Amino acid sequence: MAVSRGPVPPRRDPGKQRVLGMTVGVLAAFLVVIGQLWYLQVLEGARLQELSDKNRIRIRPVAAPRGVLFDRNGLPLVDNRPAFTLSLIPREIDDRVRVLRRVSVLLKIPYAELDDALGRVPGDPLMPVRVRRGLTLEEVAKVEEWKLELPGVIVEVEPQRMYPTSRFAAHLLGYVREANEEQLRQGRYRRGDMVGQSGLERLLDQYLRGTDGGERIEVDALGRPIRLIQHTEPVPGAQVVTTIDRRIQEAAERAMEGHAGAVVVLDPRDGDVLAMVSTPAFALDQFTGTIDRDAWVQLIRNPAHPMLNRTVQSQYAPGSVFKIIVAAAGLQETTLTPMDHIFCDGQFHLGNRTFGDWKEGGHGTVNLHHAIVESCNVYFYQAGLRIGMDTIARYARAFGFGTSTGIDLPGEKPGFIPASRRGRRPSFLGDTANMAIGQGAVLATPIQVARMMAAVANGGVFFKPRLVQRVLRADGRVLYSDPGRVNGHVELSPMVWAFLRQSLLDVVNEGTGVAAHIPGIEIAGKTGTAQLVANSRADRGQDNAWFAAFAPANDPQYVVVVMIEHGGKGGEVAAPIARAIYDAIFFEKVASVGLSG
Amino acid sequence: MFYFDRRLLANVDWLLLAAAAGVLALGGLTLGSLTMTRAGSGLVLRQLLWDGIGVGALIAVASLDYRNLVRAAPAFYLAGLLALLAVFALGRSVSGARRWIPVGPLTVQPSELFKFAFVLMVVWVLTWRWAQPVGTATLGLAAAVLLPPFVLIVKQPDLGTALVLVPVLVLLLVGAGIRLRLLGGVAAAGLSAMPVIWFALKEYQRERLLVYLDPFRDPLGTAYNVIQAKIAIGSGQFLGKGIAGATQSRLAFLPERHTDFIFAVFAEMWGFVGCLVLILCYAVIVTRGFGIAATAREPLGRLAAVGATALLAAETLINLGMVTGLLPIVGIPLPMMSYGGSSLVVSMMALGLLLSVRMRQFA
Repeated sequence: MAVSRGPVPPRRDPGKQRVLGMTVGVLAAFLVVIGQLWYLQVLEGARLQELSDKNRIRIRPVAAPRGVLFDRNGLPLVDNRPAFTLSLIPREIDDRVRVLRRVSVLLKIPYAELDDALGRVPGDPLMPVRVRRGLTLEEVAKVEEWKLELPGVIVEVEPQRMYPTSRFAAHLLGYVREANEEQLRQGRYRRGDMVGQSGLERLLDQYLRGTDGGERIEVDALGRPIRLIQHTEPVPGAQVVTTIDRRIQEAAERAMEGHAGAVVVLDPRDGDVLAMVSTPAFALDQFTGTIDRDAWVQLIRNPAHPMLNRTVQSQYAPGSVFKIIVAAAGLQETTLTPMDHIFCDGQFHLGNRTFGDWKEGGHGTVNLHHAIVESCNVYFYQAGLRIGMDTIARYARAFGFGTSTGIDLPGEKPGFIPASRRGRRPSFLGDTANMAIGQGAVLATPIQVARMMAAVANGGVFFKPRLVQRVLRADGRVLYSDPGRVNGHVELSPMVWAFLRQSLLDVVNEGTGVAAHIPGIEIAGKTGTAQLVANSRADRGQDNAWFAAFAPANDPQYVVVVMIEHGGKGGEVAAPIARAIYDAIFFEKVASVGLSG
Repeated sequence: MFYFDRRLLANVDWLLLAAAAGVLALGGLTLGSLTMTRAGSGLVLRQLLWDGIGVGALIAVASLDYRNLVRAAPAFYLAGLLALLAVFALGRSVSGARRWIPVGPLTVQPSELFKFAFVLMVVWVLTWRWAQPVGTATLGLAAAVLLPPFVLIVKQPDLGTALVLVPVLVLLLVGAGIRLRLLGGVAAAGLSAMPVIWFALKEYQRERLLVYLDPFRDPLGTAYNVIQAKIAIGSGQFLGKGIAGATQSRLAFLPERHTDFIFAVFAEMWGFVGCLVLILCYAVIVTRGFGIAATAREPLGRLAAVGATALLAAETLINLGMVTGLLPIVGIPLPMMSYGGSSLVVSMMALGLLLSVRMRQFA
């Protein structure tokens, strides 16, 4: 093509055609762009709109405070206080290694722990991941001070459990901890939710949890809040009114200091649990923060088993406390009469075996009343053989042994009453003799003993031990109430009941339980000293000490059962503890009001 | 040479100017609504100043005879090359790239201004008699014109601006009548050279290409731009969110929203309908541009018009393609919309060149 300068004759110009082609090509390209816009804005528009909202809207969960647990008089057993939680927002952390390292140094949290916490969260990178609960004020100040260097690191305020003292009613209340993997798998909880893991916190978790609220905040690309779009108030968990009497609970815990064992205080008129102590206890507040693995392992492996609720989860030979049942069986079946008496020289021979009495030289001539008051074993060996194992077992079951009491606590043990075996072989008779003094195969939990004692006090009615009276919403609506339930009954003639009560009263007034005596208060009780199978000489004298009582004897309102592991003699170790508790019940009318700690 | 005939005004392409004015107005509106709430309204004022300079440049170029401009092309071209070299000595560095030279209170981007000189230079070469007939020799000459600035601009680094030169050159070659088979052969050769180019690219440039192929490779890194732009555009939906509702843009989720990604802001605010209006303006400019080329009375004018139109069309399409996720992100502004003076002035000069050709087609 030549360059022509000057006028061009009007002819078909191939250049012109090409320009036309270019025009078509470029316009086609514009059409492609329009097509893409149609796709993005019309076809995908709604979805991208959602993404755009997700971009600018942060949802900050606001944790609902857990419900408060009250005692029967309206005193709080556990409350909440605001606590500081360190959280990470994955999306806003620009340089993970740098930020986590800084946090690690600043708050002395192992780097791996932070990295783990971030790494295990697959979900929404905008949702805060709670890394450490229970920051101190100093730690909060440090984080705030370095805020600009720590993008994506925030301090949230969450309500946290506050306990009167760190071990107060630990087993009864139960601890609260972040949902574990299994609970997460069930799908009812979100990661980081605090969940009741034992005791009443677990039993009533669905009521106590409440509903988390939240805030929808518009933020800019740097995560700076621009405005609040929506605020949903959290709905606090429901309030729980328990049957516990905080005053008695505190007294019982005080009395148990230094001992390993259990205390149950029941109201024999309705089966209300007034106090429930298991020692050694664990510290409830160590779970509210982030418990480290070592502390947890230590707790689990502790030979003293602090996590065990001995009132319902430990089974012991009831020892002489069991004699109440043997006496009831003998009298009701008329195998025994109050007039029968034997001579106790401190030994009982059966075949080639010799069974001893706890008292060297024996009790001399004893009838049933004396045998109970003095806890004479020789009398009961013989009585047991006369009554027979099956009958004793039948009465034991009627008195609630060998089946769980139905108390609303997880992991209750049923105890054990041997099944019927017939025969007259000496070994079998020996078992019967042993059973008659509450030794051998017989096993019972402290709560079972307490319920048995309550039945003696109230004339044979067995209540399901009640822990929770009702669960109330903040507006007063009752979500749950437990009117109490009778789940067993023993029919004995009134004369038998009267005899038992008089004997038990005399145990405290003049017998083995005299250490529980309080002038002016009629306390009826029975001591028990359950021998453990002695594996070595050192184990001797390490018997489990029992004392089971009710008072006032003429109008029973308080059943107190004390069990001390390896304590020694029931009358020497357990009875004084019961006295201290009764002392508090009858003479200290005022509780130490208010939550401290 | 500077003779100006009042009769030329009779042939001003008002439709072209109206479309350009429309784009400018929409750009100003978008920029203004972005900066409304902030103290940075200085941005709008500065852009208005550039608008003024741009209009001046348009009038100046339009009033000059394009033939004289093409005649002077080698001088422009050499001056441009010098300016590109000067960037390395005097250049101001912004986010790792040296692209700007301070000139008084303003900063100038030589690589932008060079585009105009490049168009004139290629037209000069193609109409030079040694380049006739357009064949392999012409290709060689064109390559010689392209390579030095291309390398210099890529080195800044400003891959986007450098890449725009290629389609401009190709369209000029086509307009000049190169055999399409020859062009195809060159394209094939270029494709086979891709692996070599791959290794010459900088790490972040490679990353951008990879992200284009798979945006979710690194959603918070390079792909962030692509994703946020798509979200901004898409969430505008059919009618747009309006100025206040354009959260993607106003809350700064969208990066580079004043400059390269301004179309996403516009799309978020005004939706599909607004986009159609804007694209219509561009389409009018391009159609009129090629129309002027088609009706030019001789090849020189036609090529000058093709070059100017190709420049505008290439920038517009590459930018739109990149912002809507059709093309990899190469970082070039949207003509007459994006904030930035040099780009605006060059676009206005291209329009001026079109007017110059148009006004003189009957002279």
